Amino acid sequence: MIPESHFLMLGAALFSIGVFGVFTRRNAIGILMSIELILNAANINLITFSKFSASPDGLGQIFALFVIAIAAASAVVGLCLVISIYRNSKTILVNKINLMKW
Amino acid sequence: MVNLAHLIPVFPFAAFVVNILFGRRVKKFSAIVSISASTISLCLSIYTLVCFLKGQGSYTLFKWLIFGGTSLNIGVIVDPLTCMMLVVVTIIGTLIQIYSIGYMKDDARFSRFFAYMSLFMGSMLGLLLADNFVMLYIFWEGVGLCSYLLISFWFEKPSAARAGMKAFITTRIGDTGLLIGIFILIFSAHTVYFSELGNLNGASPLFTAAAILIFCGAVGKSAQFPLHVWLPDAMEGPTPVSALIHAATMVAAGVYLVARCFIFFSSHGQALICVAYVGGITAFFAATIATVNNDIKRVLAYSTISQLGFMMMGLGVGGYSAGTFHLMTHAFFKALLFLCAGSVIHSIHTQDIQKMGGVFRKMKITGLTFVIASLAISGIPPFAGFWSKDEILSEIMRNGHPFLFVLAAVTSLLTAFYMFRLIFLVLFGKSRSEIHPHESPKVMTVPLSILAVFAIFIGLVGSPFMNNAFQNFIYLGQTHESESLKPDYAVMGFSTLLAVLGIGIAYLLYILNKNILPQRVRQHFSPLYNLVYNKYYVDEIYDFLFIRPTMRLAKLAFKFDLGVIDGTVNGVAKLTVIFSKIAAWIDRYIVDGAVNMTAKIVGIFSLVLRRTQTGYIQTYLLIAFFGLVIIIFVKLIIGG
Amino acid sequence: MMNGLIQLLSSHGISHDFIIKASFYFIAALTLVFALLVVLSRHIFHAAVYLAVVLIGIAGVYLYLDAEFLAVVQVLIYVGAIVTLFIFTVMLTADTDAGTFGGTLRRISAGALVSLAIFFILVRVINMVTIWKTAVAGASVNLSQLGKSLMTQYALPFEVISLISLAAMIGAIVIGKAEKR
Repeated sequence: MIPESHFLMLGAALFSIGVFGVFTRRNAIGILMSIELILNAANINLITFSKFSASPDGLGQIFALFVIAIAAASAVVGLCLVISIYRNSKTILVNKINLMKW
Repeated sequence: MVNLAHLIPVFPFAAFVVNILFGRRVKKFSAIVSISASTISLCLSIYTLVCFLKGQGSYTLFKWLIFGGTSLNIGVIVDPLTCMMLVVVTIIGTLIQIYSIGYMKDDARFSRFFAYMSLFMGSMLGLLLADNFVMLYIFWEGVGLCSYLLISFWFEKPSAARAGMKAFITTRIGDTGLLIGIFILIFSAHTVYFSELGNLNGASPLFTAAAILIFCGAVGKSAQFPLHVWLPDAMEGPTPVSALIHAATMVAAGVYLVARCFIFFSSHGQALICVAYVGGITAFFAATIATVNNDIKRVLAYSTISQLGFMMMGLGVGGYSAGTFHLMTHAFFKALLFLCAGSVIHSIHTQDIQKMGGVFRKMKITGLTFVIASLAISGIPPFAGFWSKDEILSEIMRNGHPFLFVLAAVTSLLTAFYMFRLIFLVLFGKSRSEIHPHESPKVMTVPLSILAVFAIFIGLVGSPFMNNAFQNFIYLGQTHESESLKPDYAVMGFSTLLAVLGIGIAYLLYILNKNILPQRVRQHFSPLYNLVYNKYYVDEIYDFLFIRPTMRLAKLAFKFDLGVIDGTVNGVAKLTVIFSKIAAWIDRYIVDGAVNMTAKIVGIFSLVLRRTQTGYIQTYLLIAFFGLVIIIFVKLIIGG
Repeated sequence: MMNGLIQLLSSHGISHDFIIKASFYFIAALTLVFALLVVLSRHIFHAAVYLAVVLIGIAGVYLYLDAEFLAVVQVLIYVGAIVTLFIFTVMLTADTDAGTFGGTLRRISAGALVSLAIFFILVRVINMVTIWKTAVAGASVNLSQLGKSLMTQYALPFEVISLISLAAMIGAIVIGKAEKR
């Protein structure tokens, strides 16, 4: 059987890739996608713990469900913000959006 | 049969909520809401009475609080006293509310009035049904609140507002006693239930103290000496209020409380004697004031105080049925008296009896009922007051209190005298000023007539003609005290004689001699007359003893404030100004210099540091994560 | 379907355990490769498509963890809804590939360094904790159990989540609404 640590390592790798994406992506949509990767990495971990815990009561799965719901909500709001930013400044490249820089 | 007694106060409370919330919308409809609520309560009260006669007793509703070892259950007491009071209060309350439609017709706060009336009804009925002291105290304060609200109902008048406060504060003195008494009961006897009072017959001085303190509450509420001063002033309220609250029901709550705890009182003799003497002194004292007062409502108020004193005296000498019987009959005829007075006031817009006269010709129904009520209170057989007053007198006689008997006898005489002084001055003779009386509308006269019927016949239920039905009823389910039910004909004859004598004197003075003798009396006994006319200067004494010193203390405190505290504050302020001038100099040249230098140094540094502030959020995030990685690395290396 | 496939393969002399392991590592590798493509591709539209593949791959991983329901949810919500949303947004915002992946080499290398550091830390931590090496997979949680606990024990969080979704919806409408000119 596949050991638990391998699932966790998959999660870790996915998380790192997501973090890398957040660091390097210039496109705001790309950043949001990377965030989705990070959330999915977290979900893999949650379900793994749920599976391998001594008392399998499905708590991890319920957590994962909630994370999915939150992720959906955050994606919706984030994308909306992207559209709103695009409408105002005709770009979604984060290095060009520098309203906050003095 | 189903227990419905606990629903009795619910309907008036509901009517209060409806009227207070929607009063502006429903306007005249609010009277119907209140009256129908009272009527439902009346029906339920009669139902409860019937239930009781079929053998149903008190019952518990639910557990409310647990404190210490005692738990407090909310329950309903159903016994003869409560049943009697429930029926009396609901009958009178309903009739008076109907009467109020006419009396308050043009008032701007019509619906507010009925809201308060309903609140009062609810509280009063709750008070009667309470089976423990805590509940009783809650409703006790509830009726006190309503009394305050209704006395100062016309709060535009400063005198009414002041009277409301006076009533509230004066009764509060008594209520504090009651509260302490309840605390003593809880802590020394671990009980708040009336049903367990009978077991507390140990001769502990604490219990006696508790009984006297509870009586203090009754003194405040029933306006007994020395806390009687609020009741005459309470006449500033609308007359139906005076009739319902300050004559028939709320002031009777004090008497009710003593009757409710009667077993407790009677097992602690000193407390009972205390009740008797306070009652006796009050009865006599108030009656004398009533004989000289010229305000129709105040005469009746003093009469109420006097009669309440009578009841206290009856209870105090051990006449449980005598006191409660007088409580019941008095409620009817005193309510009637007030309503008649209200009818007269409503018609001629003055309360000064020196300006009235000859009203009877124009106001036949009011006049007739007025006379009936006066006969009842004076104790002329077979009217209601005769039977109950007679029983009190014979109880005093039988239990051997000669001093109290003299007081009671003189009070009886005075009662007949001042009532007929009122009757002769108001209803008969020539009018002494420009007044144009006219009969009140039907909505007012019908309740008068109904109450008059009660005033005539209600006494018969306690008379030998009906085998002392009332006395037998009130003792149902209770160990029978040795109270004689045999008619004492000597006392009966004596009291009738006293009443007739009183009426005769009044007739002599105010009809035959046309007010000449009182002038002469005034000349001869002018110091005494002045003393009584000024209500024994009790208000002035209180003013001198309590109110002025308090005010003086307040003024002193104010001066202290002004001189010492304000002076200190001002001195501090001046010092502060001087200091702050010095501080300003230091600030300008030393602190500011330092600050400016710091700013310059920071500016130089920031020229370097600003390069890190790229404005790219991703860079910041990268740096943050970099920091995290370093922290974890350090932790892994050091912590292994 | 999967069981049928396993049976088919095991009938050809390949062990059951081996099939499971092989397929898992294949799916995991595929997922990671496509995840890298998501963050590295120059074209943001392509990135969205790769993201869909990654998410399906993760759904496959869930199957190995006996979380069938979550796998289905993952596909439905992520691939069906969120990726679609991403694609819509990509289309609504015109400059799809202008400097999508880029920035200075310095920044990319710094990012890669930090990400790799994080990865190694995580692996180190996973290997440090020995409890997982002995852990045995527990009994799987069936769907009705999950639904019941969601409606009883976790009813309040569930309702809160639904409120958050509502709030997100309203917020999205308010933010996304074109301003009146």
